[in-house]
Amino acid sequence: MTDLKLRVKEMIIERLKLEGMAPDQIEDQAPLFGEGLGLDSIDALELVLGIEQVFGVKIEDEAAGMKAFKSVQALTDFIAEHRKA
Amino acid sequence: MTDIPAHLPHRYPFLLVDRVLEREPGVRVVAEKLVTNGEPYLQGHFAERPLVPGVLLLEMLAQAGGFLEAEPLHGAAIFLAGVQDARFKAPAFPGDRLRLEVDAEGAFAGLMKLKGAVSCEGRGLCTATLLVKRL
Repeated sequence: MTDLKLRVKEMIIERLKLEGMAPDQIEDQAPLFGEGLGLDSIDALELVLGIEQVFGVKIEDEAAGMKAFKSVQALTDFIAEHRKA
Repeated sequence: MTDIPAHLPHRYPFLLVDRVLEREPGVRVVAEKLVTNGEPYLQGHFAERPLVPGVLLLEMLAQAGGFLEAEPLHGAAIFLAGVQDARFKAPAFPGDRLRLEVDAEGAFAGLMKLKGAVSCEGRGLCTATLLVKRL
């Protein structure tokens, strides 16, 4: 697991208070919403705020969210792409 | 001076904001509510010792939060979607002039998160984080 992906998983667990869950229990390709982790719209807002706080990356609108929240892998790629070097 | 009934759809006896003191849409609002003896809920909460129910302090913060929206809320469906970390430190009594401070934390897909604090003459009474959903 890459460092960034691990940090993304840790951020998700901490921000959403997924107590008792370990980073390696979150599958890279599993959808975050609906099936998969089964997150809801409140979780989405928490993630948007967490991503901004931890990684300095803004998810501006729902279109960007759709792309970024497909899976942990998609979110990691999104952060890597938009993060200032 | 903000025209409160023009902005909020709430009415007596459930309009719980009297004045808007500061307003920066999307960022911060400071409003005021004067608790009077005539508030209907004080009759039964409690018979011998009237004090404002804690849940109504949260409602006051939510209504103050309505002024974070730039546009009037008439016709908009706006709901309380969540309450986090609510703390009630001291009660509010009839005669208290309550200061309602709300700061926007962020928004995504029609959902807004705000941090609120109720105080009276510098004494903190209540703090909470609220989630408000607009459809």
